[in-house]
Amino acid sequence: MRMPVEFRIEDILSRDRRAIARAVTALESGDERMHAIRFSVAEHVGHAHVIGVTGPPGGGKSTLVSVLIEALRARSLTVAVIAVDPSSPITGGAVLGDRIRMGAMQSDDGVFIRSLASRGHLGGLSAAAADVIDLFDAAGFDVLIVEAVGSGQSEVEITRYADTRIVICPPGLGDDVQAIKAGILEIADAFVVTKADLPDAARTEEQLKAMLALRTDQSIVPPVMKTVAVSGEGIAQLVDWLCAREHKGTRHLGSPANAARKLLSKLIRADGYARHLGLELIEASPGSATVRMEVQAHHINFNGRCHGGAIFALGDTALGLACNSYGRIATLVDGQISIASAVEGGEWLVAHAFEVSRSRKIGSYRVNITRARNGQYVAGLHGTVYLLDQSLQVEGS
Amino acid sequence: MSKRPPKVIVTKIGFDGHDRGSRVITACLRDAGMEVIYTPPWQEISTVVKLATEEDADVIGISSLATDHLIIPQLMKALRDAGLDDVKVVVGGIIPAKDEKELINAGVAKVFHPGSSLEDIVNTVRSLAESRTHSEV
Ligand SMILES: Nc1nc2c(ncn2[C@@H]2O[C@H](COP(=O)(O)OP(=O)(O)OP(=O)(O)O)[C@@H](O)[C@H]2O)c(=O)[nH]1
Ligand SMILES: [Mg+2]
Repeated sequence: MRMPVEFRIEDILSRDRRAIARAVTALESGDERMHAIRFSVAEHVGHAHVIGVTGPPGGGKSTLVSVLIEALRARSLTVAVIAVDPSSPITGGAVLGDRIRMGAMQSDDGVFIRSLASRGHLGGLSAAAADVIDLFDAAGFDVLIVEAVGSGQSEVEITRYADTRIVICPPGLGDDVQAIKAGILEIADAFVVTKADLPDAARTEEQLKAMLALRTDQSIVPPVMKTVAVSGEGIAQLVDWLCAREHKGTRHLGSPANAARKLLSKLIRADGYARHLGLELIEASPGSATVRMEVQAHHINFNGRCHGGAIFALGDTALGLACNSYGRIATLVDGQISIASAVEGGEWLVAHAFEVSRSRKIGSYRVNITRARNGQYVAGLHGTVYLLDQSLQVEGS
Repeated sequence: MSKRPPKVIVTKIGFDGHDRGSRVITACLRDAGMEVIYTPPWQEISTVVKLATEEDADVIGISSLATDHLIIPQLMKALRDAGLDDVKVVVGGIIPAKDEKELINAGVAKVFHPGSSLEDIVNTVRSLAESRTHSEV
């Protein structure tokens, strides 16, 4: 199967709104284009300032985001917003309401808002959120704001993807202020007392400050700011603080997964046989790699089907990348394949290799080969590798 | 490979502000497992187009009492101009037969009249959403 041509990576990078929106859908649905998008955007991330906004339900997150958008636009910054709303665990349906509360600047092309349903994903985000953040980053938006589902204390997931974490805390939560401290106190870069026009605001601010004084790490004390959405009070101060933050590269750019992606894309480009077969790396992380292949005329055997050797080569390549993903040379000493289904020309195969075990000298890896079209199992490969005491040497990109 | 639930925008353009109907439909589509964005009434056509673009909506449902449906052909044109020819539009409300014909000619996929069953609406929206997602591949 050919990849459907409904958006091109160039269009995403040049900020074509329709292409971006469709790519988000592909990421959300987890279809096969997801990998291609991940890889294409990986080189272009690291520009945007990613701001996570979290806090209790109804606390004023969306309203705050809406005034932030206006203030950031007034400083000529482009803004993309990812608003995550919960899906019903029973029907899977959702009413995506955040966006409407962010109503301001509806016709401004410098603002792109996308609603995502959590689709059963816990942790306050959607499973696709990290990928969608990278996508908007690659598309060149200056600031990305992510509103996580307000679910009490469990929304800490945002901390992994944001450069700057804002925890909002409206007045009148009473003892719930105590609840906010669990986990979040240590990760927040700033606290915002929203709805500061309400009577209890000063007390909430005091309580937060008192709790911050108990933080184990007193080297950086996050500021506590107060905002009123209707009057815009406190917003300028918040935006000044945001704009002054040094954020570039603090996100996951140095993450192990990104390092593995970079290393393995170099390795597969340096591999003459992989090039000859037309193999393409579509995902990588430490200990795993996913490679795909379109079955073409030069893969076909005398029987008109895909040659078993080509299938083995596909699986072996994925396996080789997975076991070399730590930067230490590994070499196959034993491998077996079992083939469950014949493959025709024109089909796309995906080989996903992962680590079963790894000791000082020996690693054991498995590869599942499936049809890209429907995920149907085609073949399985198991291999044992020997780990050398040498690091990989790869020429630049 | 998972398929996403249908993504639907329920909105009102024009001057009429009665949105009880939209609210009922929104709840009903959500309960049928769809992801719904519900907007307040009085939306501008350009806002609906931006919304549909950014959200990659499958279906736009317009509720129209009064004579608001007469500006729907303008919406259809704006959607086409934005390259959103594949987004399905359905209209619900009090629509005279001759206007219905005009709407269908303008590209509206389906018109629901008062008394249409919620089940019928849900099924139609779902199959329109699916036909859009499939035509992409
Ligand atoms: N008095 C006052 N009310 C506010 C302020 N900001 C927001 N609100 C109100 O608080 C309510 C909730 O606001 P949202 O912005 O939707 O809160 P949220 O945290 O995004 O809510 P969820 O996404 O549903 O968790 C709305 O009725 C707002 O009008 C403010 O500064 N002052
Ligand atoms: Mg909200």
